[in-house]
Amino acid sequence: MKVGLPRALLFHQYGDCWVSFLDDLGIDPVVTDATTNDTVVTGTVYADNESCLPVKVFAGHLLDLKNTVDYILVPRVVSQHPGMKACPKYLGLPDMARALDRDLPPVVSPSMDLSDRRHRWAADWNRLALDLGKSPQAAGSAVDSMLRRLRERDESRVPAARGSMPIGVAGHLYNIHDSGVSLGLLERLSAMGAEVFTVEQVPIRHVRHQLKTLPRKIRWDFESRIVGAVMHWSRTRSVAGIIYVSSFACGPGSMIGPLLEDQLGREESVPLMTIILDEHSAEGGLITRLEAFTDLLRRVPRNPRPGVVPFGVDRP
Amino acid sequence: MRIAVPRVGSLHYMAEDFCRRVGIGFVPSPAYTLSMIERGVAVSPEHFCFPMKVLIGSAMESLEAGADTLVTVAGYGECRFNYFAELQRRILEREGYEFQIVAFDSPFDSLPDFYRSLRAVTRSSRFHLPGVARELSLVLAKGHAFDEISKRATAMRALEAVEGAVDQAAGDCRALLANAFKKDEIAEARRAIASRFDEVPIDRMRPHIKVGVIGEIMMSIEPYFNLDIERWLARRGAVVERSIYMSDLMTPFGRNPVQGWTDEEMEKYASPYLCHGVGGHGQINVAAAVDHARRGFDAIVHFFPFTCLPEVIAKTIFVRLSSELDIPILSISIDEQTGRAGMQTRLEALTDLAWSRKRRKDSELSARHATSKV
Repeated sequence: MKVGLPRALLFHQYGDCWVSFLDDLGIDPVVTDATTNDTVVTGTVYADNESCLPVKVFAGHLLDLKNTVDYILVPRVVSQHPGMKACPKYLGLPDMARALDRDLPPVVSPSMDLSDRRHRWAADWNRLALDLGKSPQAAGSAVDSMLRRLRERDESRVPAARGSMPIGVAGHLYNIHDSGVSLGLLERLSAMGAEVFTVEQVPIRHVRHQLKTLPRKIRWDFESRIVGAVMHWSRTRSVAGIIYVSSFACGPGSMIGPLLEDQLGREESVPLMTIILDEHSAEGGLITRLEAFTDLLRRVPRNPRPGVVPFGVDRP
Repeated sequence: MRIAVPRVGSLHYMAEDFCRRVGIGFVPSPAYTLSMIERGVAVSPEHFCFPMKVLIGSAMESLEAGADTLVTVAGYGECRFNYFAELQRRILEREGYEFQIVAFDSPFDSLPDFYRSLRAVTRSSRFHLPGVARELSLVLAKGHAFDEISKRATAMRALEAVEGAVDQAAGDCRALLANAFKKDEIAEARRAIASRFDEVPIDRMRPHIKVGVIGEIMMSIEPYFNLDIERWLARRGAVVERSIYMSDLMTPFGRNPVQGWTDEEMEKYASPYLCHGVGGHGQINVAAAVDHARRGFDAIVHFFPFTCLPEVIAKTIFVRLSSELDIPILSISIDEQTGRAGMQTRLEALTDLAWSRKRRKDSELSARHATSKV
């Protein structure tokens, strides 16, 4: 039996857990290949035209699996932390997948609600394993090892900024870490001499500390992480500039983009550039903007932290 | 304190009534105009959804008309509207307005926050919490009656024997309701409304189609944005039913009085197609579409703002729903670029389709009837 997993959206976050769950059950996981231009084009043709780019890419990956697998696993990620909410697109993703094409293999969608400390959602995965014909023992141990893996993940260490031009790149990991979507943004920045930091490198306690300073709580999990990380970078001046990457028609992204612009503008902090990706994004336009931004950072001296006035510099 | 509330369905009506009861100043929001929308679009970020841009324009004009407090409903969870109040504050402050903003979250999300918002609004009145709660429940009852008037009018308009009789009745009923304040007065007004509508002469034999209007609340309720869809469809012989009413959304638990279903029933209707809430009114609309299809409606019109998160999910699902339940669904996305002529053409195509399907169904039915008699 083969179960397919589209390499898109939250696969970039939880994919290792899902793959190992299937491995533990002795099921052959079929993960689609990295995103190519063809994937984006297919997804754009089949998905709803007002969906965001990652959902279109997801549709492209989904259709890649059409005739090759018996089932497609699209978990419904309800929440990732207590008190937090997910983007509506994650909540409706399995239903959208079913509506996309009638000839698709059956879509199985166990839910995943990490805000539930008692892991009641794990029962869904257990039932899935039983439905796939596995013994109760095998199902239980696969679910257990997935839960352990989820507990042990994250907590990455932060390398100190060394290079002359540290740049923070903020955005959803399924946009940034999928170079077929981001048009190789991270590699291009490194090639231009920048030292790139991403959101998940900022420790969660710094993020939480910064989020407390906002007048209204951000309910979306990913986006609160992005906002906290950007505010950490800008207030500690640990980067020279920040690039905020979002996709066209991204709902939460369309709210935190203006929020960050406003907040960083009020604090007169580091430069911020917003890049909106969609299926029409061309490499030429992206390169020009990245070059302009890195040139700006090279020529303009680093903005010092407020209250830390370097000797001999008059502040207005 | 002079508060302003966005003009969305009966929300504005209920807020005005509440302010009059507890003695707070109320500034009616100006009606939507093109210049208001243009002002809102000019100061909003590009990727805001259309209702937000409109609400910012509306807030600017309300503040200029003398309001000093903007009251808005924020917490519907996953939809991008939940962070709108904060950004609205930042944008309007940047534009140089001085005001305070009170955003109501759902009391089920956070009761303390809800109480704090309520306190911020009612601080200047002489009412305390029990009084405020009592008045709120009366206001809600009045909101239900207000929405029932429009529900009845929508259903009857296409069949009225005398042109304008339904609108006349609706106007009379609103006047009746405006003077009802106490509990028994409201109950009396509801009875009077029912009998007033019973008096309207109806041509029951007139051929008609049945059309459901669903979608994001502001786009589907406010006639300014949707070509006054209810009257437009009624002129083309369509009996219309709408899926969302503002007073239903404000009902904290139990059966929604206007629409008539409970949340559990709604989820059950939607469940084969959308098994989980997606914020906003996505699931309600899918449930309503299923309900309309099962009850033999001839077509469904779905209005939503461009790139609206829950409604785009609903729209994706409607592709499957439409073919499985065999009902035409027209999704129309609305933003500041929407042209009336384009919308009208598409709606005309839909009503033509609905009429031809209706005629075909009728002739098949009568043919079957004739053969069974023989």
